[in-house]
Amino acid sequence: MHEQDQMTPNERLQAFMKGEKMDRILAMPILVSISHRVSGMTHREKRASALKQAQSQIDCYQRYGNDMMIIEYGLHGIGTALGSEMNDPEDSLPAIVNHVLHNLQDIDQLDFNKTKKENDPWFARTLEACEICQEKMGQEVPTGVLITGPFTAVSSIFPTEHLLRATRKDPASIHRLLRLCTDALKDIYKEYIERGIIILMCDPIASGTLLKKSQYVDFVKPYATELMNYIHQLGGMCCYHICGNTTSIVMEMVDTGPDMLSIDNLVDLEYVKEQVGKRLPILGNVPPVDVLMLGSRSDIFESVKTCILKGKDSPMGYIIASGCDITQNVPVENIDHMMEAVRKYGRYPIDEGLLNEPATNH
Amino acid sequence: MNIMVKSKEELLQQLSDCVFEMDDENAADVAKDYIAAGYEALDGVLKGLVDGMNRAGQMYEEEEYFVTDLLVCSDAMYNGLDVLREHLPQETAEGAVNYKCVIGVVEGDTHDIGKNLVRIMLETAGFEMYDLGRDVPLQSFVEKAKDVDAQLICLSTLMTTTMPGMKEVVDILVKEGIRDKVKVMIGGGPLSQAYCNQINADGYAVNATGAVTVAKQLVGMA
Repeated sequence: MHEQDQMTPNERLQAFMKGEKMDRILAMPILVSISHRVSGMTHREKRASALKQAQSQIDCYQRYGNDMMIIEYGLHGIGTALGSEMNDPEDSLPAIVNHVLHNLQDIDQLDFNKTKKENDPWFARTLEACEICQEKMGQEVPTGVLITGPFTAVSSIFPTEHLLRATRKDPASIHRLLRLCTDALKDIYKEYIERGIIILMCDPIASGTLLKKSQYVDFVKPYATELMNYIHQLGGMCCYHICGNTTSIVMEMVDTGPDMLSIDNLVDLEYVKEQVGKRLPILGNVPPVDVLMLGSRSDIFESVKTCILKGKDSPMGYIIASGCDITQNVPVENIDHMMEAVRKYGRYPIDEGLLNEPATNH
Repeated sequence: MNIMVKSKEELLQQLSDCVFEMDDENAADVAKDYIAAGYEALDGVLKGLVDGMNRAGQMYEEEEYFVTDLLVCSDAMYNGLDVLREHLPQETAEGAVNYKCVIGVVEGDTHDIGKNLVRIMLETAGFEMYDLGRDVPLQSFVEKAKDVDAQLICLSTLMTTTMPGMKEVVDILVKEGIRDKVKVMIGGGPLSQAYCNQINADGYAVNATGAVTVAKQLVGMA
């Protein structure tokens, strides 16, 4: 447990769920793409080994005392299992260079058995990383998995630009792909849930920056809803995140039934609180680039303070988080600053006077 | 046989509507009718297809159209353009300035939807576009700009890991002594005006239609 905290993240999360007293506000900065930096390894080293994936998360937790460790199944897992080719950068997140599906006529040639843990070494490795996290730290801190939602899963198989066009030109084929991906994701989520892992469902390609609301309702919502139901049937828990501006779909997202909603920094926390704060806890939304990567220590304090001011009275609870994943270009000390600010402004009982002062003199 | 020839205005309106209404399957046929009727190809492009794309851009600005809509509109525009292109006058008018722009996604990043939309909208606005694609080596932007004598380089990225590449392009331009000859515009998910200032780029745009406004300002296009 972090020396300045009085509760472990498990105790804090339990108290949060039951509406009991906590020492401070929950803080879940999304420390995924930065974690190898905290451990002093390259991205390639991290992704090659279950032990190192787990170790980088444990190192983050031991340094920052953040309230969730996060293993990365990622956004491309289904595509790569099926045969999409990735690049292999030494020290950066890999990207898809050639999608497995170029023609919607060829959907039948995809073999979704390849996405099962027996057949997909990446999936198996992340499960092992989760097991290590649980074994070493499970009594103290929860572990989540950052994993694709249905629409982004399709984009890992079929190029996004073609996918967008096909929502208009050939919606039936896109629904077929979504059906197949949703079924595959159920089996994948199940393995994590059986290991006590929280599902962090991320669906960036379903962003309001790319899709209009009617496309979200037609092509994403039914499948996301089905997945949420399935997660709950298994006794699991889901935090739902879509990148970019989701202002127009925030109600629809909550209608799918997640346990928590995580919002990007492009969305106003106050607006989301008013719209859906009565229905579920909200996570958000310290800007990962403009504040955490490019900002000063006092910018970070100011941003944390503003988030707490806006979020603290959200009816079902508020968890401070970054608006999106924190990348490896963020100085690791800036997360120290963020957590220090959380412990200053987010300590219970909340000091309203402190929150209304300017965050100077740091 | 139907010998009724549609008026030029009518066909221009149809070309514009094919683009604006995302009728990519009929744009080429309308363009063929337009040429067969003996009307000027250049007008067909500017007052027909481009007009439709501009209307689509306006709707995008107003958040009535989204990315998918713009993509399908542009498919219609290019289908029509494929027909009209060979009928365009070969020589440009005396004294006309060609605004040339090199565009691409910086090295290390393969996300190119945003870049493609900006290319489409700049092309619509009258820029001669040189699209280097995605994951483009930084030096290539400068080489291409020198080769074609471009006034503008547009750099795009969605990833924070590749943002520093944009600064490097600016630095290469300085090193080669041509920084004052080429403007640099940047765009992409994680970027901001603050980052643009920080790396001494000339302009930042938040989306594809904003990019047109900024690009025109940067090169002094009326």
